[in-house]
Amino acid sequence: MSHVNTVSFAIVAASFLLVTLIGFAGARWRPAEDPMQLNEWGLGGRGFGTFISWFLLGGDLYTAYTFIAVPALVYATGAAGFYALSYTIMVFPIVFVFGPRLWSVARARGYVTPGEFVRGRYGSQGLGLAVTLTGILATMPYIALQLVGIESVLAVMGVGTNSRYTFFANLPLVIAFVILAAYTYLAGLRAPALIAFVKDALIYVTVIVAIIYIPRRLGGWGHIFGAASAHLATVNPATGKPYGSLVVLPAGEWAYATLALGSALALFIYPHAVTGVFAARQRDVIRRNAALLPAYSLVLGLIALLGYMARATPAVNAGVAAGYGNAQLSVPLLFQHMFPSWFAGVGYSAIVIGALVPAAIMSIAAANLFTRNIYKELIRPQATAAQETRVARLASLFMKVGALGFALELNKTFSINLQLLGGIWILQTFPAVVISLYTRWFHRFALIIGWAVGLAYGTLQAYLAPGGGQQHFGASTAPVFGHVTYIALTAVLINLLVSAGFTLVFRAIGVTDGYDETRPADYSADAAPAALAPAAAASAAAASALQSHRPLRARRSS
Amino acid sequence: MAQPAVPDARAVPRPLTRGIVTCLLLVAIGGALVVPIYARSLPKLGGFPFFYWYQLLWVPVVAAACWLCYVLLRTKPAAQDGPAGTPSGNGAGPGQAGADR
Repeated sequence: MSHVNTVSFAIVAASFLLVTLIGFAGARWRPAEDPMQLNEWGLGGRGFGTFISWFLLGGDLYTAYTFIAVPALVYATGAAGFYALSYTIMVFPIVFVFGPRLWSVARARGYVTPGEFVRGRYGSQGLGLAVTLTGILATMPYIALQLVGIESVLAVMGVGTNSRYTFFANLPLVIAFVILAAYTYLAGLRAPALIAFVKDALIYVTVIVAIIYIPRRLGGWGHIFGAASAHLATVNPATGKPYGSLVVLPAGEWAYATLALGSALALFIYPHAVTGVFAARQRDVIRRNAALLPAYSLVLGLIALLGYMARATPAVNAGVAAGYGNAQLSVPLLFQHMFPSWFAGVGYSAIVIGALVPAAIMSIAAANLFTRNIYKELIRPQATAAQETRVARLASLFMKVGALGFALELNKTFSINLQLLGGIWILQTFPAVVISLYTRWFHRFALIIGWAVGLAYGTLQAYLAPGGGQQHFGASTAPVFGHVTYIALTAVLINLLVSAGFTLVFRAIGVTDGYDETRPADYSADAAPAALAPAAAASAAAASALQSHRPLRARRSS
Repeated sequence: MAQPAVPDARAVPRPLTRGIVTCLLLVAIGGALVVPIYARSLPKLGGFPFFYWYQLLWVPVVAAACWLCYVLLRTKPAAQDGPAGTPSGNGAGPGQAGADR
């Protein structure tokens, strides 16, 4: 792994060039009447139908975490890592229930971010700000994680890693990120929406080939599960216990279920997921996608099995050991040892582009939050739409620089754990964002107190959790009454109890509640037929729109 | 700033439809959440322990359940109702919608 594989590298470079061109072309795709509206840059004009939304959300939700971290967990611990499949099964019935209401109220009120909805629902700047800061905080390490995914591919390809100077070692990653930042700046959400098509094509091809071809070379599924089982039964010298098991043991069932449920509840309140939902053209697009997106869950399940295939390949085990036991290298190494160089290149491209798409959407989502909830709310309330869009574009650049800093400065294990911490943090906005869709019973100040307590409890518990050779932030589970539970779930229950208690107190002493600007009808609103008609005939309309707006775009880009 | 939007009077489904949808979604979630159902290695299928093939099989089951719920709750403007129609999401005519049960 010390020399660069030219064939694989050429394929990855070519794919990267292709998506770069597509990214810049995104600025001219489905052109807007007024591109300087935040709706346009930040939500792709809210015009994506079922088909594009499927690619966009799939590209958005299944990240480098899916392709690198989940199989790495399965590689290292076995069945426990499969909670990710259970989680992506549960998430769609959950979003089926609340997704359409969130979409409707945002559409009816022109909200671009979840923070705006909460501010409007409770008439509380503070609560909106709490949701916003939590969203930005939880997104930053998530973007960094995408970079870690790209890094692991580069490491296996031998690019940059053998350089003596840190600057050159990180150069490929920095270049990739600068280019990503450039087309996101220009095209906004349209860029990742277009690139998602390429990403998904590469992922599906790679996974289908891997799942048919690799087991044949390894002597069948029976052998793969056998080899994994034999490894998992051996005793880990660090803990004195077996590495894991092939089937979740009774003692691990509670942790498995709570990790899956907590992650499923958290996923669709992450800013990038909300952005994907808000970009839909019509209310029913969300429900249709809840039924269609599980296709990606199937892919996730198959990718998780790559962890076992890696375990059954001695060369991969040797490679991981040589990489200081970094299990995140297992999938790229598996591709390297099982596939011819050119197809390994296709697989690497799938991982790299699979990391770029969510990174772009996450930075856009965080930029939208900053613009609408911090800039417009606190800094310049009179900002025009064009000023908003300009600020959002700049904010997306800052988000990427911050994430790059995260990825380059912090060690890898730490950033994985920060992502788990991200789940703990973001779930603390569940009462304000999701429960508020159904009831306005909670008092705004009570929700702020509940959020703060949940956040403090969750962060403290995670800090105290040892694991993976670390004293702190080593795990995302902690025992509660003898059951090992995902900290996020315990924290949000405490959050709810505190919120409910203080609501009763504030009501009793008559603390004024905020003004709710939403109306019951907002929660079931759909796009007006008038607005739908041109969108439905997009193919015809786009051609003429492109003509009429060309002068405008030319002026903007110069 | 607000987008053009119309309140959808027919978005409230009938109680029966609501009940069926709730049950379907709860079963879909429960099948993954209640781990003891599938935390076993037998019976195997094509070399896969039960734990794995059950979960992989549950994915399309949940997708089908969500699609069924979508069809049940579908609200389309009457003008766009083709011959396929919407079975019961059309709260506009409770009597007529009840006929398909």
